[in-house]
Amino acid sequence: MIQWKIAPAALLSATLAAGTAVFLAATPLLAQETVKLELWSRQDPSGPLRAGNVVKAAERLNKELEAEGSPKRVEVVVRESPAKGFDDDALQLLKVFGIGEGPDMFIAAHEWICAFQEDGFVLKLDDYIAKYPQHFGTIFPSLWSSAKCPDGTYAIPQDAEARMFFYNKQLLREAGYDDAFIDSMPERTLSGDLTMDEVLDIAKQVVEKTKAQYGVLHRPNKGPDYIMAFNAYGNDFVDPKTGNLLLERDKLAAAFGWFERGVKEGVIPANNTAMEFDALRKEFYTGNAAFWMYGIWDLGSVAFPTYGLPQDEEAFFKDWGWIPGPAAEKGGSPVSLTHPIVYVIAADTKEPELAVRLLGHASAADLNTDHAVTTTHLGIKPEQLEDPRYAEAWPLARATELLKITKFLPNNAQFGELNGIIYAGIQGVESGRLSAQEAADFVIEEASSALEDVIVK
Amino acid sequence: MVASLRGVSQTMATIADELIERRGHAASATRRRTNFVIFLGPAIVLTVLFFIVPVIIDIAVSFTDLGRSLRITAFTTEQYEKVFRTDRRLTQVIGLTFVYVFGTLAIFNVTFGLILAITTTAIRNVSGSFFRGVWLLPRMSPSVLYILLWLWAVSPTEAGLVNQVLMQAFGLDAPLDLLTSAPIALIIISNGFIGASMGMIIFTAAIRGIPEHLFHAAAVDGAGTFATIRFITLPALRWPISFVTIYQTLSLLVSFEYILLLTKGGPFYDTTVYALYVYRRAFESGQYAYGAALALFLIVIGMVVALIGWRFFDMERLLQRPRIEVH
Repeated sequence: MIQWKIAPAALLSATLAAGTAVFLAATPLLAQETVKLELWSRQDPSGPLRAGNVVKAAERLNKELEAEGSPKRVEVVVRESPAKGFDDDALQLLKVFGIGEGPDMFIAAHEWICAFQEDGFVLKLDDYIAKYPQHFGTIFPSLWSSAKCPDGTYAIPQDAEARMFFYNKQLLREAGYDDAFIDSMPERTLSGDLTMDEVLDIAKQVVEKTKAQYGVLHRPNKGPDYIMAFNAYGNDFVDPKTGNLLLERDKLAAAFGWFERGVKEGVIPANNTAMEFDALRKEFYTGNAAFWMYGIWDLGSVAFPTYGLPQDEEAFFKDWGWIPGPAAEKGGSPVSLTHPIVYVIAADTKEPELAVRLLGHASAADLNTDHAVTTTHLGIKPEQLEDPRYAEAWPLARATELLKITKFLPNNAQFGELNGIIYAGIQGVESGRLSAQEAADFVIEEASSALEDVIVK
Repeated sequence: MVASLRGVSQTMATIADELIERRGHAASATRRRTNFVIFLGPAIVLTVLFFIVPVIIDIAVSFTDLGRSLRITAFTTEQYEKVFRTDRRLTQVIGLTFVYVFGTLAIFNVTFGLILAITTTAIRNVSGSFFRGVWLLPRMSPSVLYILLWLWAVSPTEAGLVNQVLMQAFGLDAPLDLLTSAPIALIIISNGFIGASMGMIIFTAAIRGIPEHLFHAAAVDGAGTFATIRFITLPALRWPISFVTIYQTLSLLVSFEYILLLTKGGPFYDTTVYALYVYRRAFESGQYAYGAALALFLIVIGMVVALIGWRFFDMERLLQRPRIEVH
């Protein structure tokens, strides 16, 4: 009888105990709050890990939150935009913010951040950056200047790169240049001895003496690389005193003159701006052009995988090479351009602190090195240089040499639009619709009409 | 008594008839209103929603400073000052638009459409239908596919169709770059190949509507082919030609997708017609308010062109009620 009474009591107790255990175990889960942070990212084969690293960073942040005993967990929702380039993407995103549908975070080209800041769409980060030195303390100081608007820091540098003139050594040899000349070109350029016009002369020799059809090719859409040529002729586009856009007629005409001479000499094709990007790359990497004005990541993204250029450093430099943008005149300053991509946080995100910490983890040296070595972009922290994978990726180390002379595009809210006008000017000059002087006048007229506070000299 | 009763009954009958008639009228008016709502209602709603409201929105936007972030901070006449004072591209753009519309219309949409209609109705029915079918292909193809074919045809390399023909059949030394050297001709031809088919169909239908005996009579009178076309076919096509001209003018004024796909409006601004210019300003530069002001002028230009065409071709007569009706 007693046994009969004990058994159900034991069973009941066991059930209650098990239920309590399950309830206690489940309590943290029930109290756990998932914070969804939306990341806007352009579908970009030259940098898939820009968004991918943020997704990975969520795991690290969640572990950290768990260790802190926080009930919050972060989930990253990537919203991919099909825009062709960062300019189109920024214009699209401005509209998205304009109708109140903006994401919590986005990836942008640095020169656009002040356009977002001007309309109050993005979060000022100075205090957060100071608060989390473990994440942001070692990012190269020079890169931070690309993340600033007049009143503070509004972005976190994600990568950097170098823009240059790639050249085909085989074609130069065929055109009669000896190895000593060819190999000395980078040093001569860095010392200001090799000029923009000499590039046209060399390219002309190649076109005349070899089977190659083109001398110099450049991108067929709005972008940063050709701004190197304008920088070489002294165009900085921003007035240092006021921060407003600055257009100097003579300097603009001088830069357009270089493109005009290139076309007249038969070196730059008159239809360069009408050609397809892939077609231009193909012309250069298959030996039909002497120079290609572009950026270092093109090696990892296209040249090695698609056109089979040698990945071994010695083999590569036997037949290929690069120089920064040469000086306009002998003894002048050479130029290179870096175009950092940045992470930006929306001003109206509900969880700014978590977004900052998330992007802090995404900026970790190892994750950033994953992006750098797989897409040939430069890293953002000195500790990445110690990573054997980074050291093995010789294009990065070699391109880093150019950072000594590198410039940024101006972080002016209207520069994106000005760049579109400059590109139209190049198109006008190359297609023979405008002379260099007319192109300078065109840029000034268009910019004065369409943009605000443009200083003209 | 009988007479008076008859009179009363007649009066009653008259009143009843009147009542029935009135009820009939009332029923007819209700039916008319119902029919109006059923048959014209949807069309009116669609017209208001998609034609009138957008124009009102466009006018409103053109008086703001709506920019790339879709925010309005002020109401202003600044956009109109830009149109009249500072935009120096506009004159060139309007001139080009005139060349493009007039060229496409004169060469292809009317003339070539007419030639196709006359020739394909003059030959055997099967062959005529075949050729008309061929000329309809560009219109039936998706615009992107159609322009991809054009891009291949005029590719400035040796692989381009035109260059293959010119280099291999005619011994041309270097490939031609028509996109740079003859962009305006290219946009006229590529649009004309599509536009010609509409004229072709309408003109063919009109030619088929000409009584057969007129052609026989002309033949008996000794009229040759050209005389028959001049004195019988063309007079019968007056209205279709007027309609196609006005309709296609308006269509060409506002359409730009083929140009955008083929030349992107370039080189430089060489093929940026007015509608494309509006698009470039609004959507490539983010100047939406300025684009709205420019678009308003396009609406005004379209209305003026339509009214001129209406008067010039005496379209009012075309839309008059026919004097003979067949019941």
